[in-house]
Amino acid sequence: MKASMTETSGFKTVAPSVKDSRATRRARRETREITLIVAAVVVLLAVGAINHRFVSFENIRFMVLNSVVLSLVALGQTWVIATKGIDLSVAPIMGLTAVVTGLLAQGSGLPLIGAFGIALVIGLVLGTINGLLVARLTIPPIIVTLGTYSIYSGLIFIYSNGTQVDQVPAAYAAFGNGRIAPWLPIPIPVLTLAIVLFLCWFALGYTLFGRAVLAIGNNAVAAYNAGVSVISTQVRVYMISGVLAALAGLVFVCYTGSATVTTGTGDHVELQSIAVALIGGTAIAGGRGNMIGTVLGGLFLSVILTALVFLHVPPIWYSAGEGAMILVTVTLGMRQSRAGKAS
Amino acid sequence: MKEVENTVTARRTGSRFPLDGWERSLLALLVVEIAGFCIGIPGFYDGIGSLLGLTQNFLPFGIVALGLSVVILTGGIDLSVGSMAGLGAIVMAEFWQGLHLSIWLSALLGVGTGAVLGWINGMIITRLNTEPLIATLATSFIYGSVGTALAGENPPAGFPDSFNALGQGEVGGLIPYQLILFVVLAIFFSLLMSRSAYGRKVVMIGYNGEAARYSGMRVPRVICSAYVISGTMAALAGIVLASYYSAVRPDMGDILLLTTITMVVLGGVSIFGGEGRIAGVVMAVLLLGVLRQGMLIAGFSDMVTTMVTGAILLTAIAIRNLVSGRGTGFALLFLRLRRLGGGKVPEAAE
Repeated sequence: MKASMTETSGFKTVAPSVKDSRATRRARRETREITLIVAAVVVLLAVGAINHRFVSFENIRFMVLNSVVLSLVALGQTWVIATKGIDLSVAPIMGLTAVVTGLLAQGSGLPLIGAFGIALVIGLVLGTINGLLVARLTIPPIIVTLGTYSIYSGLIFIYSNGTQVDQVPAAYAAFGNGRIAPWLPIPIPVLTLAIVLFLCWFALGYTLFGRAVLAIGNNAVAAYNAGVSVISTQVRVYMISGVLAALAGLVFVCYTGSATVTTGTGDHVELQSIAVALIGGTAIAGGRGNMIGTVLGGLFLSVILTALVFLHVPPIWYSAGEGAMILVTVTLGMRQSRAGKAS
Repeated sequence: MKEVENTVTARRTGSRFPLDGWERSLLALLVVEIAGFCIGIPGFYDGIGSLLGLTQNFLPFGIVALGLSVVILTGGIDLSVGSMAGLGAIVMAEFWQGLHLSIWLSALLGVGTGAVLGWINGMIITRLNTEPLIATLATSFIYGSVGTALAGENPPAGFPDSFNALGQGEVGGLIPYQLILFVVLAIFFSLLMSRSAYGRKVVMIGYNGEAARYSGMRVPRVICSAYVISGTMAALAGIVLASYYSAVRPDMGDILLLTTITMVVLGGVSIFGGEGRIAGVVMAVLLLGVLRQGMLIAGFSDMVTTMVTGAILLTAIAIRNLVSGRGTGFALLFLRLRRLGGGKVPEAAE
């Protein structure tokens, strides 16, 4: 009783400042989302003018579907970055889930629902380990997740033991590629992403937990004094990140039908997910998270990379394009926020 | 309350022995480790020469770690060391093969390329006010692409023997050239960071950037120079790797990044900057490098070794945090709470 009282009263004292910054923040958020949408449409039209197949329904469906895995990981990453943390271990968590569920499905015909259960357990356990190390032992997040990155990727290696996933049962493939209904051509992974996005968006913007996350990202000591349970919030944030990375791994193995030891870690999903979150308007300094922006960022990245394929740019330049995009969007974001502060 | 650990106070209050507590424990661990491996793992000790020769497998990591620790001391981070190492080596190889320059001149140009790449990082960070993590993440993608494009489908290989000696050869069949290079660099960096005005500026900026700015330091210039140092060292490490393999590959630097950050942090450099010494980094390089080689000789796979490295990193930092009481902001918070709790007792007594 007493604890809840202090919590609510503490929350009230910070409320005005939160409200103040929320007004400016909302304006900035919308510009970032509009910028991303406009940029994506411009790219679509420009490349579509050169090659009409780029704007075909099939290609747009492919681009959206292709962004799902990375966007799922990036949504979890957004939670972590909003608390001023960083999670490098998402890549091995994703890879481990893909390999474990894929191998079980391939070898002993694990049903899809069981795969979901395993993904949930992997994500929860590994994410909780990260969270406890960060919050309980107060080790900086970048070091914790660097260490667990090595440990978790070792687990993939030990579990797979030289084998790899070559094909998955029909139920898995249907989950990874099928549409919701014959008359509704929305792929199931896209629906999954939409549901996860809605939950994340709602939880970050409209629940006590979401406000606590942003408060910790802004000023952890102030949040603590205001009655926010810093440790449990942090642990939960890393759990979310772990679960979403694991879900992304399951979607990946269903979508591609394959998984190897280097799934996730080989493509540097951890760096890409950070990039997507930053492109989406989440501040690396914490205290600001933009779930819709993250998904739009993932989508924009997918559009750009596909456009490079259509423009016959050699694949070696894809990652350079990605890097340039991070620089441009982040420095533009800085300009915007500074202009907002000045006015 | 324990005093916040700081290299300056540590030197004033510490003993003449040029290592503080953390470095001494690393040194003790290193001695135990080498002794344990020599006794426990058959084939590990095969004469002093082979023991020293083992260092050739991991010293490029150490060279990168030296440069990276300067950046981390300023409170930044450089994620692009891997791609700068690859790109520096490829630039060297292309000058050598394409323009038929002498290999040593090409190597110099490769190292210079690293300095330029580091300078670009520094300019992006200081001029555009970008977070180091983002800026170097972005440039690591870009440098990686440029390296792959330059290397083409058949990257140059088969360098002259005189050059390969840098990575593979030994002086008098005993002391590897790499080891000599590393020792010279380590001494240089150690003196630079602890005895020169520049080094103190770097530590000061990492400890409190605002205070450094108010005291009239040209903070952006010092920060930029830290990235130049990191880029130079990364490219140098790439060239040593090229000489070790007698070949270049654009992705050969990829393995450097996570391991070198581990080495720097295990060496006692605070990831938030402003705290730590080169001696500790050198100890950590040797500790992790010998551990890796020992485990590989003992027949463990590469991945198991990586796992153990990760576990050691976490354990070491957890212990360090618990001992020194200075972790992240939360540790400070708990310290404060403990003080508050302690403060209540005398109040009650009054």
